[in-house]
Amino acid sequence: MNLNEERDLVRKAKKDPEAFSELYEKYYSQIFGYILKRVANLEISQDVTSETFLKALKNLWQFRWRNIPFSSWLYRIANNEIVNYFRKQKGKKVSLEKIAEPISADNIELEFIEAQEELKKHQDFLKAQEKISKLDIKYQEVIVLRFFEKKQIKEISEILGKKEGAIKSLLHRGIEKLKDEFFETN
Amino acid sequence: MENEDLIKKLEEISLPKIEIKSHKKGLSLVLMKKYSPERKRAELFNIFKKLIPAGAIAVILFFFIFNNLNSPKYNLAKAKEIALQNNEIKDWLQQGSTIKDIKIADGKAYVLIEPPEEKKEQEELAPVSLKSEGVSQENIAEEKFGGAFVEVNIKEKEVKNIKKLAPIVTSLMEIKKEKVLEIVNKSWEVQEKVPKEAEVLNINVPTPKFRLSKDGGSVSAIPETETEEKASIIYKSDGHRWEGKINLTKEEVEEVNFLGEIKNGATFEESNR
Repeated sequence: MNLNEERDLVRKAKKDPEAFSELYEKYYSQIFGYILKRVANLEISQDVTSETFLKALKNLWQFRWRNIPFSSWLYRIANNEIVNYFRKQKGKKVSLEKIAEPISADNIELEFIEAQEELKKHQDFLKAQEKISKLDIKYQEVIVLRFFEKKQIKEISEILGKKEGAIKSLLHRGIEKLKDEFFETN
Repeated sequence: MENEDLIKKLEEISLPKIEIKSHKKGLSLVLMKKYSPERKRAELFNIFKKLIPAGAIAVILFFFIFNNLNSPKYNLAKAKEIALQNNEIKDWLQQGSTIKDIKIADGKAYVLIEPPEEKKEQEELAPVSLKSEGVSQENIAEEKFGGAFVEVNIKEKEVKNIKKLAPIVTSLMEIKKEKVLEIVNKSWEVQEKVPKEAEVLNINVPTPKFRLSKDGGSVSAIPETETEEKASIIYKSDGHRWEGKINLTKEEVEEVNFLGEIKNGATFEESNR
């Protein structure tokens, strides 16, 4: 989907829930994956992803198209929600178990256990993420977006609303600090 | 470890590709359920947002109009406008009278009309109409316009009442002239400088003026009280003239001056020009 098609879909999503559903299907995995890479915790990832999409729905009618992918807006909301989650801890959680009727509670639990098992297989990621999580939020954001989400500097600048030069500088300093974290551990 | 090594390490990390379908489906249902209420809320908010500027303009306009319609300035101007439509008042103003003051009380306006200055000067130069202790005077006893006190109903846009103030003014002046004569007759300075046979040519007393006084919900026209009232008296005798300056408040003659001789029968006023 090119930018023009996406713009039309967003416009349609303001009037038609099906179009919004289409946007959700398109970006759910991407946003859930990004949040998981930021927090390395499945439960928190589910909560923050829920909050991100609920916030996106709430603000959909205020969204103004600025020739930037819709996903950048979602990434930005996700960043804010991650910060909010850790600030509040007692974030309002959406109980999906009650709504997700077609899937039984046992199935949800089983699926969740399987997902955790899958996450545990990525030990290198979990170790790196542990180090990254010790950095300032501003460094966490750029490092995860650049190396785990494989985003270009331009895309990161669009997501964070900062100039490309600032992103490069943050990346450089972030890498330096992350290197120190690895060095300390070794 | 170099930066490049760390970057390479980060890029090569195997990343989890996890998707919890039950969460995805559950969240989708929540979002679909919330879509309509959120849309309605957003539409209401948009309408409200659009109404804010219009509402703000309406409020500003309302206050502007309200303040102007009810402001004292507006009411004063309105009262003046109503008063000016009255033929009697119009005539007075055409003859040189002026609107001295307007006061508002209980939705009514009170207008004070003051007589023209020129008329007063003529009045001051006119011969005195009093007789006292053998001093002869000429008579002027003509009733003059001394002003008017007008009540205007702003709401009904009409002049309700017109009260002429002239009789009160004249009587006050007469009393003051009598007082001047009383003071000069007692003064040794006048007796010393002005010949006994001199006659009083003119007495200038301060013309009593009126002012509006507001007391609670009522407005009335009352005489102005000055801190020091002063008057003058002109004597003539055998072609010579003298002027006495009198302080009416202190009841004393302040000075007596010889004004000189009048040649070829010219009047005092002419010799002053």
